Amino acid sequence: MTRFLLSRGLLLVLGLAVASVLIFLALRFLPGDVAQVIAGTDATPARIAAIRESLGLDRPLPVQYFEWVGGLLRGDLGNSVVTGTPVASEIAEKAQVTLPLALLSMLIGLAIAGPLGVAAALRRGRPAGFVLSGSAQALAAVPVIWAGMLLVIVFSLWLGWLPAQGFPRAGWSDPGAALRSLLLPAITIGIIEGAALLRFVRSATLGVMGQDFIRTAAAAGRTRTGALLTHGLPSVALSIVSVLGIQVAGLLVGTVLVENLFTLPGIGRMLVADVGNRDLTKVQSEVLVLTAIVLIIGTLVDVIHRLVDPRAREVTA
Amino acid sequence: MRTPRSRLALAAGLATVLALSGCAAPSPDKTDGSDAHVTVGLVLEPTDLNIRKTSGVALDQVLLDNVYEGLVRREADGSVADSLAKSHTVSPDGLTYTFTLNENVHFHSGNALTAQDVVWSLTQVLDDASVKDHATIAAIRTVTSPDPQTVVLTLSNPDSNLLWNLGGRAGQILEEKATNDLATSANGTGPFLLKKGAWKQGDSLTLDRNDDYYGAKAKVSEITFRYIQDPTAAINATLTGDLDVQTGVDANLRPQLARDADVKVTEGRTTDKYTLVFNPKVPALADPKVREALRTGIDHQAIIDSIGGAGVPQGGPIPELDPGYQDLTKEITFDPAKAKSLLAEAGQSNLTLTLTVANHYPTVISNVLTSQFKNIGVTLKVNRVEFPTWLNDVYTNHDFDLSLVNHAESRDFSNWTNPDYYFGYNNPTVQALYAESVAATDPKVVDEKLAEAARLVAADNPADWLFTGKSLTAVRSGVTGFPTDSTTSRLYLANLTVTR
Repeated sequence: MTRFLLSRGLLLVLGLAVASVLIFLALRFLPGDVAQVIAGTDATPARIAAIRESLGLDRPLPVQYFEWVGGLLRGDLGNSVVTGTPVASEIAEKAQVTLPLALLSMLIGLAIAGPLGVAAALRRGRPAGFVLSGSAQALAAVPVIWAGMLLVIVFSLWLGWLPAQGFPRAGWSDPGAALRSLLLPAITIGIIEGAALLRFVRSATLGVMGQDFIRTAAAAGRTRTGALLTHGLPSVALSIVSVLGIQVAGLLVGTVLVENLFTLPGIGRMLVADVGNRDLTKVQSEVLVLTAIVLIIGTLVDVIHRLVDPRAREVTA
Repeated sequence: MRTPRSRLALAAGLATVLALSGCAAPSPDKTDGSDAHVTVGLVLEPTDLNIRKTSGVALDQVLLDNVYEGLVRREADGSVADSLAKSHTVSPDGLTYTFTLNENVHFHSGNALTAQDVVWSLTQVLDDASVKDHATIAAIRTVTSPDPQTVVLTLSNPDSNLLWNLGGRAGQILEEKATNDLATSANGTGPFLLKKGAWKQGDSLTLDRNDDYYGAKAKVSEITFRYIQDPTAAINATLTGDLDVQTGVDANLRPQLARDADVKVTEGRTTDKYTLVFNPKVPALADPKVREALRTGIDHQAIIDSIGGAGVPQGGPIPELDPGYQDLTKEITFDPAKAKSLLAEAGQSNLTLTLTVANHYPTVISNVLTSQFKNIGVTLKVNRVEFPTWLNDVYTNHDFDLSLVNHAESRDFSNWTNPDYYFGYNNPTVQALYAESVAATDPKVVDEKLAEAARLVAADNPADWLFTGKSLTAVRSGVTGFPTDSTTSRLYLANLTVTR
């Protein structure tokens, strides 16, 4: 187990190192820089050059890269080139919107996918099962933007129950208002995530239903549904955990789109604005943090899988 | 239509969640009259708040005149009014400007404004070429203060633009002793102030009334600017009452606002010049016949219709609100047949051009242009790019065939007199006329010279001016005093009132 943890840890560090180089280089291929953005459409080349120099953008790329990575190793994500504010505090502030949104979306997704997925498996081959998996297929293909706009029309403009956009200026000091403003965005992502998850739950359940232990339980007098619910669901849950790990990346992409649609001041909207301003120090740290989150969750899921499922332990032992 | 009962069924689960989150309908936090809190929707957010360094009208909109003040202020109709100065005089030779300052002016830091702060501020801009708009007041030779209420500027040569430019970035007065970070805070003398944490980057910016203002105090206590880029989200925010005023309404979405009788949409004039530049360094476009053909092939009214009517035709480089304006729209008329024959004469019957356009403008404009050009035998490839990419490829490297951006700044005719600008337009006669207009001390002469120069530019067809933008503003009933003209570059809000 120690060897497994060590190798996973090493893989994580290696992954982050490679990601840092890729992110840094990819951003340098973007045409235009922050000095041009600051200078605007009435600037002389001399003024642009002066701004570039004052921001340290004229230094060689390796110098800029190692300065950034050096800071990262000391736990310093750097400062915004434009406003000079520390990137870490900016991320911490915007995470107050994005993390609850992602969490809420995932919960809604699970609440939809869990029961309905199992139900779809149990009703396989019957009209109800067909309708369930059919609508899941269709829903999973719905663009987030379109779903969001539809929900806004119904629940904000028509019924007037929930805010159409925005996040309270006071933030979480009014938890009710903050939660209200996150509900529609979270439902938007949750429905689509849930539809995608539903298919996993359904096939995982079907897989479990074919297992010997279910047949044994049935032979001992349990109904098929009863056997599945008591003995089968832990196995289903296990495969869902693995899928959730993969879904995190998709969830983060979803929040970027939804934050722009609902004008929520979260990490996704900040990222889009920072790319638009070519505030590259900020963008590279933000993207690296997001990459780290995805990699760490992936590693954690791996480890949890190992801890929970005795079979996985045996394979590499 | 659904019955109320099925609505209930539809949302039963959601209601439970709502109840759990402990929230009834939002209670209005806005009070009446002078304690009012007004929320204004804007489209573009400034990248940072440094008025000395960072370009962009998004910064001018919120901070100039509201938070920072110059000796003079630009008015929405294009004129100039006294601001920090109580009055001013200009000597007959146009070389000496004398400003008498208002009394009891304080910075938001609490310190009194002195004539020395004015001298220091202007000197800073004059001495540092990296300051935004440094060149616009370069005619000033000396800045002195003979007594604590007077500031005198002497010029090396007359400059008819000076007062206007003093009402812009270069003329804003800052406190000499202040040490605040200009990028994230502001210390001005204006009727509104920026409290700590007032700018929530990526979301909103709030101005509070300056209760110690020396002049007539602002009529509302707080204004929150909310930045909403998505045009539909902005409309929704207005319809749900989250916004009291929405600027930059997308004209094609305007009908949606009609369902709220409490919202009125005003149409204002702007200096937003949607400029389609023909790069003269491209061989085909160096041919005057080709440029004329392209302009002749454009049906301006069709373009304006496609954006919901939010524009007026603009025949030349100067828009209606700026000095030197004249109607040049009759000089070139839409005539596809003539365009085709001009192209044939030029030997360009099968021309392919690429249009580089910043991607925050409506796609429909380039779509309409593509089909109009197709009608005259020109294939238009559209390259929609991010604005920084446009700045790099077009503005800096001059690497383009056709370019389309909105030049929103007012009185920016001088770009046509700078051969190094990305327009690449070099006409010594135009340059001479412009210099004469700058040197003139009589406003009538200024107008005449500018008009003559603009006519020459338009006749050379170095670009097409697709239209001058109209600004659509949605205002909730009870809100008055919100400016209608020039709102894309200025939003002076001291006269904003709320009665409800």
